[in-house]
Amino acid sequence: MKNNIFKNQIIASLIIVLAFSLNALAQKNEASNYKMRFKFKTVKQTDNSRLLEVNFYGQNKKDRKDKISVADAEINFYNVLNEEEILLGSAKTSHEGIAKITVPNSQKYLINEVGLITLIAKFEGTEAIDAEEDDISIKDLFLELNLEEIDSIKTVIVNAFTIDSLGVKTPAEEVDVIISIQGMLSKMILEEGTIEDGVFEYEFPTNIPGDKEGNITVFSIIDDSDDFGNVIQQKTENWGVFDKEIKSEGNKLWSKAAPIWMYIVLSILILGVWANYVYTISFLFKIKKEGKELELAQQLENNQE
Amino acid sequence: MNLTRRKSELVKEFSPMLEKTSTLSKIWIWSLVAIILVGAYALFLQIYKGQSVTGMRDNVVWGIYTVNFTFFLGMGYAGAFISSVLHFIKTPWKNSVSRIIEITTVLSIIIGPIFILLCIYRLDRLHYLFMYPRIQSPITWDVIAVITDLIGCFLYLYLTFIPDLAILRDNSKDLDVPKWKKNMYRYLAIGYQNTDEQKEKLHKITKTMSVIVIALAIVAYTILAWVFSLTLQPGWNSTIFAPYFIVSGLYTGVAVIILAMFLIRKYLKLEKYIRKVHFIFAGVILLILSLLFGYFTFSEYFPKWFSHKASDANLLNTLFSNYFWMFIIANYGAVLLPLVVISFKKLRTVKLITLTSVIAIICLWLNKYLIIIPTLETPYLPIQDTRPEYIYYTATWVEWALTFTGVAAFCLLFTLLIKFVPAIPMSGIIDNEEAQKKKKKRFKKLKTE
Repeated sequence: MKNNIFKNQIIASLIIVLAFSLNALAQKNEASNYKMRFKFKTVKQTDNSRLLEVNFYGQNKKDRKDKISVADAEINFYNVLNEEEILLGSAKTSHEGIAKITVPNSQKYLINEVGLITLIAKFEGTEAIDAEEDDISIKDLFLELNLEEIDSIKTVIVNAFTIDSLGVKTPAEEVDVIISIQGMLSKMILEEGTIEDGVFEYEFPTNIPGDKEGNITVFSIIDDSDDFGNVIQQKTENWGVFDKEIKSEGNKLWSKAAPIWMYIVLSILILGVWANYVYTISFLFKIKKEGKELELAQQLENNQE
Repeated sequence: MNLTRRKSELVKEFSPMLEKTSTLSKIWIWSLVAIILVGAYALFLQIYKGQSVTGMRDNVVWGIYTVNFTFFLGMGYAGAFISSVLHFIKTPWKNSVSRIIEITTVLSIIIGPIFILLCIYRLDRLHYLFMYPRIQSPITWDVIAVITDLIGCFLYLYLTFIPDLAILRDNSKDLDVPKWKKNMYRYLAIGYQNTDEQKEKLHKITKTMSVIVIALAIVAYTILAWVFSLTLQPGWNSTIFAPYFIVSGLYTGVAVIILAMFLIRKYLKLEKYIRKVHFIFAGVILLILSLLFGYFTFSEYFPKWFSHKASDANLLNTLFSNYFWMFIIANYGAVLLPLVVISFKKLRTVKLITLTSVIAIICLWLNKYLIIIPTLETPYLPIQDTRPEYIYYTATWVEWALTFTGVAAFCLLFTLLIKFVPAIPMSGIIDNEEAQKKKKKRFKKLKTE
């Protein structure tokens, strides 16, 4: 029964997603027109926990830009070694087709003789969608990020190493690393380099203001490495340097106060016109006064008669 | 000529217009009131439910209210310009049209700005415009210009009314009008007795006001054009927008004046004063302005097509696809029709000239629509993947109701004003007759000498 519900949910969600697709034509949206994509990645996070993430979607065979996410699909994540298999966790894909779990740093992984951890993400399949599976084999890389001032030079030091079963540290070699800082909306890349002999050093720029307290969050990122997957480390330091306060600009078109000539021209124009109105109205009063005098004179004349 | 007797004769001649309201006039007035009531309901809906009852959305934030605003103001400024220019021309026929032009001017400048108020949702913040004005903003200039121009036009209209109000005051015994009207004549005539000193003073200030009103009309309509052309929107950021607006405004003004002349002549039976020659002369001005309008329209769109900038090409593509027929009717109709009607003597009839004016008014309104709406529908950064009604504009019944209410209010106020003072200035008729008499005397003197 449970299995039926599960199957129906998957089919229903795929049908709903297909039915409501903006570009959809009935024929075009048949599942057979889509090639299923099942992408698995792992990210070792700053607290050494590990994020396992699957992106599950269908890509139109004819129009490759037409992608439809597979929602509500249950994905199981395993750590395997030879015949041995440990279930690390399960998650259902979201409306965006993403399923993810976080494996705590205390997790003991099955590691082969060369130090590789093999992780597998599996989708068991339904009547409508075939089973999918993807695996990653990576070494567990430890990334240390240190922010130090060496001879008054702010330096970012990244140490990268692996630890074998005996606890011996082996420095990483030829690993690409990205140094970036947290911006308002996303991370801003400062430097891209390579870790040699387990170390990478970078002289931090002196013109970055940081947040309102001058704090800067620096990231060292190993992105999609064949050997280590994704590894990220971060640290926050009070390294922000505020630029000198911007001196107030003179009167510009865009400043609070307009250019002086604008005030002068506008004042002359307005005063000129309104002065004329006052002049005209004053003449109207004069005409009125004369009219009254004439009326009085006429009344006197009439009375005398 | 006995001046007092002549004034009395003229008051008697024009008194039916001031005293009686015919059945047709009553139907006309009540029809206008009915339209205004529908508009009042539409206004209530708009205030109660908000701007969502209009077709204005994120992209097209200015709809037909702004079209009407520019249209009416153009008409008003044109009227002010023509009226003031006529003040300096010494010709007997100007008297027949001067009051129609003056009334058109003031009413247009009153009604025009009401439409821009309809575009504003937070009217409770309207006073911020005066409390925190940004001198750099063309909107601020426009607010100042419209208010200044409105007061100037009011003042000018009043100056031209004074001699007639004095005539009506002096002959109010012969008039069968309500007492309040007689009191108004007395109060507004400000004791004007047509003495030489008073005449000179009035002439002096009217002349000065004419100059000011001409300058103001040009400045104010230029500023209105700048509200558009000083933005970077495709289609608006044009160097010829100010003269283009002035020409199209003058064109609209002349067309509306011809229509008003026709209606007043027909329904107030003023064929004696508003003659065919007036229509032909106005028709010739209409033709000149239509050609200028055509020239400016071509100069506006041709460089856009030729330079083929992406944003301009996008705008032209919209104009020639979604608005194809409107574009053709607006621009070709407004240029070719006056050319055909006025160029051929046989077609130069009062009715055809008026019909041409009516079509020109519609075309010029459409022209303003084409200037405002398609530009807003083709912004530099379009909203993606949104509902079509957020991108494309269609006016709702509320907007149409309020548009017709504006037109109805214009007609109603016009009708009521010419029931207060004659549509033909009586003082002007007397001045003309005196001038003719003087001319004859001079001619006789020369002959005898």
